[in-house]
Amino acid sequence: MDKNFKDAINRRKFLKISALWTGGACIITIPGFTATPYRTLGRSEAEIMDALADAIIPPGEYAGGKDAWVTRFIDQQISSNGYLQHDHDLYKTCLPAMNNDSRGEFGTIFTELDENYQTEYLQAIEAGHYNSGAATRGWGNFTPSAFFNTMRNHCMMGYYGSPIHGGNRDYVSFRMISLF
Amino acid sequence: MANKHVNAIVVGSGAGGGVVAKELSYAGLSVVLFERGGWAKYDDHGDDELTAQRSFPLACFFGPDNERYRRVAVDRQGNKRIVYPNDWAYHNIAACVGSGTVSYGAMAWRFMEEDFTMKSTYGDVEGSTLEDWPITYADLEPYYEKAEWEIGVAGDDYQNPFAPWRNKPHPMPPFPHNREGKLLEEAAKKVGYHPFSIPMLRNSKEFDGRSACIHVLNCVGFACPVDAKNGTQNTVIPKAIETGNCELRIHSQVVKVLTDKSGRATGVEYFDKNDNKHVQTADIVILAASATETPRLLLNSATNLFPNGIGNRHDWVGRNLQGHAYCGADGLFEDETFDGTGPGASVAVCDFAHNNPGIKGGAMLANDFIKLPYAYTGTRPPGAARWGREHKDFQKNYFKRNASIRGPVQEMPNFESRVEVDPDVVDHWGMPVAKISGFKLDEDIRTAEFIADKAEKWLEAAGAYNIWKSIPGTGVSGGQHQAGTCRMGNDPQTSVTDKYGRIHDVDNLFIADGSLHVTNGSFNPVLTIMALGYWVSDYIVKEWKGGNRFR
Ligand SMILES: Cc1cc2nc3c(=O)[nH]c(=O)nc-3n(C[C@H](O)[C@H](O)[C@H](O)COP(=O)(O)OP(=O)(O)OC[C@H]3O[C@@H](n4cnc5c(N)ncnc54)[C@H](O)[C@@H]3O)c2cc1C
Ligand code: SF4
Repeated sequence: MDKNFKDAINRRKFLKISALWTGGACIITIPGFTATPYRTLGRSEAEIMDALADAIIPPGEYAGGKDAWVTRFIDQQISSNGYLQHDHDLYKTCLPAMNNDSRGEFGTIFTELDENYQTEYLQAIEAGHYNSGAATRGWGNFTPSAFFNTMRNHCMMGYYGSPIHGGNRDYVSFRMISLF
Repeated sequence: MANKHVNAIVVGSGAGGGVVAKELSYAGLSVVLFERGGWAKYDDHGDDELTAQRSFPLACFFGPDNERYRRVAVDRQGNKRIVYPNDWAYHNIAACVGSGTVSYGAMAWRFMEEDFTMKSTYGDVEGSTLEDWPITYADLEPYYEKAEWEIGVAGDDYQNPFAPWRNKPHPMPPFPHNREGKLLEEAAKKVGYHPFSIPMLRNSKEFDGRSACIHVLNCVGFACPVDAKNGTQNTVIPKAIETGNCELRIHSQVVKVLTDKSGRATGVEYFDKNDNKHVQTADIVILAASATETPRLLLNSATNLFPNGIGNRHDWVGRNLQGHAYCGADGLFEDETFDGTGPGASVAVCDFAHNNPGIKGGAMLANDFIKLPYAYTGTRPPGAARWGREHKDFQKNYFKRNASIRGPVQEMPNFESRVEVDPDVVDHWGMPVAKISGFKLDEDIRTAEFIADKAEKWLEAAGAYNIWKSIPGTGVSGGQHQAGTCRMGNDPQTSVTDKYGRIHDVDNLFIADGSLHVTNGSFNPVLTIMALGYWVSDYIVKEWKGGNRFR
């Protein structure tokens, strides 16, 4: 390897570190995080979202969606100055509807199901089994499978995207794939 | 206050427009270069994948914004949908000084000789408006060279036995391969392909006062942290401004080309940053707003004399929209292919760009740029989990153990793939937006299947143990490689401009962007668009110096 190439790599490491530093600083200085945790989601909506985030990206050796602040990412992005503000009503309607709609087949709400049943239920939603007549079960004009797809995609963004948007706490996903 | 009359207006400061602004201002013409966006800097964006110009799930940092811009996408059943810039169906490139040349992957391909003579090489194709260009590779060769030397390309065509002839080598040596590149280079040789290092509009050494590439992971979709990626924004545009003859007018949305009673262009109408409307007059107008926005401008500039839009007497404006029918294969490896050295794409073969038995055209094949973590969440073999534990484990296990080979399959142009304007949907300034509809021909899919097989074979030879191919859908192409919507030609009945990019009907109105492409080559298009910028400028300057004031 020639010298320039090596210098280049050192420079790159430096850039990475500075990115880590500014990103980290940004997270630490977000004021009042514990006092008023969410901008848009109420406590129970946030709990449902936490459960969904953990189903989409389960905890293990590395944090799951919940501990990686995926809910915080979604909350920030669907708030009035977020990039996903057009999905505000989607979450406000579908989170409670999704939580309740498991009662029929599974006997209880989604957040109280065992992990295996949660997965089974979400697979059924994803496959469209809950689409027909959804409006009468609280889903409004939204289609359960479409909500699932959007929500799944947003979880991926929140977990694998840059922490500047509110998720990927402490760069957990970057550490998981040993990017740092 | 009225704007001072100038010699030339250039609309759009991207690949084509940046070059034209430099050439005309060097020749002494006074120029206003219009750009709807502003300057896009690395420091303002950084490494944020979610707003980068490659996958943009949240927004397009390099523009345009979702607040003021929209388009109409029409699917194959004819259903209309309003789409925003960060939706793939919008077919965005960018909106900033330099446009796509700031955030591109910077592959710097010359088209091959056959790419200019597709019809005489392959004959008629059912359903296609396939045609030869009115110019040849030989006509454009000196202008490719100019683009390579003035904007800056690293490469070595002598490694590529299929490269078209050239008079002068590239100005910078080719890039070395990273671990994945080396693995694939060896594998390509094993199966009898002819691998070489992709020519890149990046600095392999210090060039023109700017530093050498430091191989970060996020190149494509991002601005360069050390300004080692060469676009029009850090080469020809600053040079144009330095002459004192060129004013770059940013945050200025051109909405109309103005013409007089005799059908001559007199200037443009535009809105400034504060949404105030202005007129700028000029002797010559050059449109370089991209293959979706240039036809839109022509169509939105209809007058009594041009009831269907300027240059549209024979209904060719906006037709033949093309991109590439991208296909390829992905593979997983036991050992890490990733060594931390970006940007990824570095090894290519041109064995299948042409001369494929029973196939019309083909594609160059190259390894892909490193996929960033969010983008990689969508890279899974058919049937693999899209979420849950298995999905997460896959991400952890394979992020550094994969390779992807892609090919931009040359499409056969068709008349029904097109840009129109939709009178029912307007943008922030009240102008009808671009409406995009069309499809790919079966021929394109057939070629994609053929090319994807070659990619699969390459990955097999490299030792990948799980390989899956991807074949494009039949929806309309365009996107970041959009081209073809105002094709050049000798016959005014079947083309929009003459071979110098001049609108057949209007002596002082030119086009210098991807719209001119008759066909879009088996390669990424930007170097050809830059070369055309030089070609069109050269004609204008020669005429101007000979006393033609285009009046
Ligand atoms: C992420 C990415 C990666 C790419 N990688 C490659 C690559 O590796 N190799 C390659 O060959 N190509 C690549 N491309 C494609 C390349 O960038 C385009 O082919 C090229 O920029 C098109 O040139 P153009 O002059 O036709 O249009 P553009 O470069 O898009 O220029 C048009 C300009 O006009 C401006 N404009 C439009 N309308 C108006 C208006 N009404 N008023 C004022 N201004 C206006 C736009 O804001 C823009 O700046 C890539 C593109 C992207 C986005
Ligand atoms: S790889 Fe990085 S340093 Fe090199 S040109 Fe691209 S962005 Fe710049």
